Amino acid sequence: MRVLRSDMSSWKRGKRASHSFWKQSIEALVVFSLCVKISGCSDVDELMSTYPLIDGHNDLALQLRIRHNNCLSQVDLHNLSKVSTDISRFKAGHVQTQMFAVYVLCGAQQKDAVRLTLEQIDVVRRMCTEYQEFELVTSVQELKDSKDNGKIACLISIEGGHSIDSSLPALRMFYQLGVRSMGLTHSCNTPWAESSSNFYPVYKRENNSLTSFGKVVVEEMNRLGMIVDLSHTSWNTSSAVLSHSKAPVIFSHSSSYSICNHSRNVPDNLLLELKKNQGLIMVNLHNTFVSCRDEANISHVADHFDYIRKLIGAESIGIGGDYEGATSFPHGLEDVSKYPALIQELLRRNWTENELAGVLRNNFLRVFEQVERVRDQLSSKLPSEVQIPFEEAHNPCRLILKRPDPRSPSSDQSSGAEEIAVEPHQSCAVLPSGRE
Amino acid sequence: MSETPLIDGHNDLPWQLLSQFNNQLNKVDLNTLANTHTNIPKIKDGRLGAQFWAAYVPCDTQYKDAVRQTLEQIDVIHRMCQKYPEIFMFATSSQDILDAFKMNKTASLIGVEGGHSLDSSLGTLRTMYQLGVRYLTLTHSCNTPWVDNWLVDTGSEPSEHKGLSSFGKQVIAEMNRLGMLIDLAHVSEEVMNQVLTLSKAPVIFSHSSAYTICPHKRNVPDDVLRRVNETKGIVMVNFYNDYVTCSNTASLSDVADHFDHIKKVAGADIIGFGGDYDGVPRVPEGLEDVSKVPNLVAELLKRGWTDEEVKAALGNNLLRVMSEVEKVRNKCTHARTQIHTHTQIT
Repeated sequence: MRVLRSDMSSWKRGKRASHSFWKQSIEALVVFSLCVKISGCSDVDELMSTYPLIDGHNDLALQLRIRHNNCLSQVDLHNLSKVSTDISRFKAGHVQTQMFAVYVLCGAQQKDAVRLTLEQIDVVRRMCTEYQEFELVTSVQELKDSKDNGKIACLISIEGGHSIDSSLPALRMFYQLGVRSMGLTHSCNTPWAESSSNFYPVYKRENNSLTSFGKVVVEEMNRLGMIVDLSHTSWNTSSAVLSHSKAPVIFSHSSSYSICNHSRNVPDNLLLELKKNQGLIMVNLHNTFVSCRDEANISHVADHFDYIRKLIGAESIGIGGDYEGATSFPHGLEDVSKYPALIQELLRRNWTENELAGVLRNNFLRVFEQVERVRDQLSSKLPSEVQIPFEEAHNPCRLILKRPDPRSPSSDQSSGAEEIAVEPHQSCAVLPSGRE
Repeated sequence: MSETPLIDGHNDLPWQLLSQFNNQLNKVDLNTLANTHTNIPKIKDGRLGAQFWAAYVPCDTQYKDAVRQTLEQIDVIHRMCQKYPEIFMFATSSQDILDAFKMNKTASLIGVEGGHSLDSSLGTLRTMYQLGVRYLTLTHSCNTPWVDNWLVDTGSEPSEHKGLSSFGKQVIAEMNRLGMLIDLAHVSEEVMNQVLTLSKAPVIFSHSSAYTICPHKRNVPDDVLRRVNETKGIVMVNFYNDYVTCSNTASLSDVADHFDHIKKVAGADIIGFGGDYDGVPRVPEGLEDVSKVPNLVAELLKRGWTDEEVKAALGNNLLRVMSEVEKVRNKCTHARTQIHTHTQIT
């Protein structure tokens, strides 16, 4: 009965119609009834009711694009089929905050990545404002308030620096649109940072994993108060960022290389640097990164937690499920309703309530608070006006503007644009059906 | 001018910041900037109450990096307001304009000049609205995949859409729903008429003058002026010599003739100021820069304009239009978001 009462009290604080309140109460009763068959279940639910999960990475926005062309009117986010995420399952999984990834394919780099990014930001914003269960948040305080209001908080993160097209103004405008975290790369190098993947043969450099412009990007993110996310970046880039960033950084969805030696995972030396940085590794649940095989189970996942705790402490750990961004997940963790099963296993492995409170939410809050503090300390710093040298951007869809010729015919604003050489038939738009 | 803010519909200082200074605002002092129509002392002398700053990128960026470059222009306008907070107050509503006026600051709004900046994307339109953009000029001097520009009327470009395509109509509907002002400066006459029929909210011409006085295809013919009056929109007069006298030279009096003509044909309730300063190479004698606009106000009074008519032209007409656009937005709150994404034609 303790489970039912604590669940009901947290829901009571929310602004819900009485009908949905009773519906949720009945659901809680059903969950509880099932739960009592499994020993320790009531502890997990109580724990996760007090410390509901902040998850670092979910690609629902990508699925909305691929499956529905961002037509929210075609779907009911309360219950979705063919994907692992919806509102009902978030609630069952005690997910209180989700960082939704704004991702555009690497093929759009040097083409229309910026426009596609705006469209993905738009769909997350719409999703989070059109459903009363969601609340778009952009600060630690708003995140905390959303819990008190019984809402699922949405944070927006960009997955890949190619989204900014090497433009600090674009970065600033994304921040203004609510983006609070950015992964510096996805599976392609940018003109200023390196990916852990060699899949795309672009922007290859020797011994220059974070260029001077890349450092300026990190500095501007620190100044704005945008979390730097190192998932998908190369180890050299990660190391360079860990030295350069004034604020703690995160790996929003990466696991331990020592447990599963995939290049997307984080090796021990970087974990130790992360510890010094007071940053956060949010463990990815995708099989390929958990067991390095096509199959995995909860125990494999828990091994990552145990290992990282032993190396750098539980205060450095969070969860970044990567649901919707991958297709195979461990038995027992198939979708976002299953997080309690993972916490159950960690409880069984004698993780303390305090450690799990950290993993579930407090460690992320600490990092986000520190990022905001660094922003406040840098408040007298002017917005950066550094521009990437044209030869570094090397983008045929990039126009150089020059002063209009005073002898040109009259018009209001002569175009004043010099077109650089563009190959014939070259398009600057990525094909609409492209996906990786 | 102490009772009603002068609200100007279009100023290209951001374009000058880009083309002269590469947006290096940290290295520019707007207090001493010498070779532009606009700087802070001139703004103060000109009693500029509110300004729509143009976020403009050239048509050559269409199908290339127009979106990114437009974001950079939106960013420089925000940074300008942040750099001079005692002069500029960033504004996104009619109420903001009034609040800025009470604080003796110039309300600063953003207009994106050219539909090519959207890359045919309603998601881009919505996010630009979120960034504070409050008008979109549907075209600059190029057709987009969904709307025709004024050059079509000169015969120098073929019409691609006979006005608006069906996607263009969705753009209009979405702008009404969002509460973004529709700006018809630079569009073809067919587009003017189609939008005046379609739009649920009043529309603007942010910087266009009277065709009867100067028959330039950038100007507004009388029948359209009358339709603007019927729909309670606004035509904000452009000071560019070539649109005022259809020649290289003009005087303040020539500009006042446009005001008089529009008042005669369609009434004082549809007139405003849309100087186009820093977007054009030739401005009239007597209106050499933004500090001189009060002289135009004096000329109108001299010509027998009543105080009410002058105040209407200065700011009340634009405030009315903006409030009405905001009302239409509020009524549309429950309308379904338009979500279709136009596939680019290559």
